[in-house]
Amino acid sequence: MDTVRNAINLVSYFIIPLMLVGFPLYGLYKRVPVYESFVVGAKEGFQVAVRIIPYLVAILFAVAMFRASGAMDALARLLGPILRPIGFPAEVLPMAIIRPLTGSGSAALVVDMINRYGEDSIYVKMASVMFGSTETTFYVIAVYFGAINVRKTRHAVPVGLTADISAMLFAVWSVRLLFG
Amino acid sequence: MLNYIWAGLIVTSFLFALGYDARDIAGDRYRNGRPLPVALAFTETYDSATRRVPVEIRIDPRQFATFYGTEEKPAASYPGYLLQTREGTQLRFEAGAKLPEPLATIAKVSSSRDQELQGRLEGFSPLAAAQARDTMFPVAAGVVFEPVRFVKLNAIAAAALDFAKTAAGIALGLVGVLALFLGLLKIAEDAGIVHALVKLVRPVLRPLFPEIPPDHPALGLIALNLAANFFGLGNAATPFGIKAMEELQTLNQSKDTATNSMVMLLAMNTAAVQIVPPVLLLALLGLQINRLIFPIIGSTVLSLIVAITAARLFGRLRVFRDSDPNRNPPAPAAAPEA
Repeated sequence: MDTVRNAINLVSYFIIPLMLVGFPLYGLYKRVPVYESFVVGAKEGFQVAVRIIPYLVAILFAVAMFRASGAMDALARLLGPILRPIGFPAEVLPMAIIRPLTGSGSAALVVDMINRYGEDSIYVKMASVMFGSTETTFYVIAVYFGAINVRKTRHAVPVGLTADISAMLFAVWSVRLLFG
Repeated sequence: MLNYIWAGLIVTSFLFALGYDARDIAGDRYRNGRPLPVALAFTETYDSATRRVPVEIRIDPRQFATFYGTEEKPAASYPGYLLQTREGTQLRFEAGAKLPEPLATIAKVSSSRDQELQGRLEGFSPLAAAQARDTMFPVAAGVVFEPVRFVKLNAIAAAALDFAKTAAGIALGLVGVLALFLGLLKIAEDAGIVHALVKLVRPVLRPLFPEIPPDHPALGLIALNLAANFFGLGNAATPFGIKAMEELQTLNQSKDTATNSMVMLLAMNTAAVQIVPPVLLLALLGLQINRLIFPIIGSTVLSLIVAITAARLFGRLRVFRDSDPNRNPPAPAAAPEA
């Protein structure tokens, strides 16, 4: 198993350099005017970034307000007793709530939890698995749909949150199984 | 859905901020307008003609606890200075001192230009101070801070403004990386790499994205996006994903509404299947991460399965089926009247 993982790690070091060199090289072989193509494609970078701004502002400021208001702690206190029967400790609940909302906030929370519970604690392990196995759903929605100006997201949010919840539950259970 | 969640975040934060502030006011948490007893020890001879006199501020832990009704403990002493102003003598705590709550909060609200906690000195006798030659004999006084009100309300407003700026910064910070990878992708398209990739991944991805025509470049870009995610290359994954979304948008009948394929791609991205540990966790936990990699991969694979299933099932729900641009294309724009 370790050799497989080493191989994967190795590949991940090489992928970007290989793309940077390989695409233009193969393009030359195919007689593509590589420099011209690159510039035409790259021109879009700025427009895409600018298109994302309103969507990102909308999501980030609302989430920042929510965090600053202390509503999150109240929500954690409220949900704690409800989730305890299914084996979900109240200590990792803030992580489960904050993870889909903000990437930097949840990273700070991991640091916080390491200071409070110690590196070896089961709560830090659960929080780390949560952090590693899900994405900042609302950020991804803002960036991907913002880039193409899609405002009506239909079932994107419920689907993303369902996936997040399943990952959170599985994180708690798998850590408990392995280290509990 | 997003409309309600978004509005919900804003409204709940306002209500909670208001609630916390009301509680602070009801309990007079900051003891607005009342003097906190302190003892001032002079390291230099006090002279009321001098504008600025350095002083050692001592707060008795017991007095502090009864005054604020808290269990927080102040440090043995704080460096500070007295400042003669037209309004009277001011006491300032040197910036960067580790203040206990609620002083830390008060410091945020009523600090000087140099971020020092400041307050008006009361019951201070210059005569006694001038005679106190030694730090052994501190002079008692009281300090009144600026009244503190609506801390949370101010905090949410500040957070909103702050993060609006951050959001624009994040988006603009993407310009360079986006340009780099979108440029590379253009070469890949022109050289036929994307097209070759489409043929390669069609058997796997087509069942997940039945709306995409079999030879469409979107499939190839989706494959690149998923591969970049898989190897933990967040920098590359985002431009690939955005390009894939743009290709899906060319197939979309109504440009402001997400298609089922878009939701599916998004779902696969939020599930974040990644086989190398996230850089941040590696930095924080070091080698311990090796013991966590299997639960991480396990949860992420499981949540991917859930995401795909949910994208499929929710897409069949009445509400979302009716808004499907492929099922109910928008009426063509009415011809301009003659």
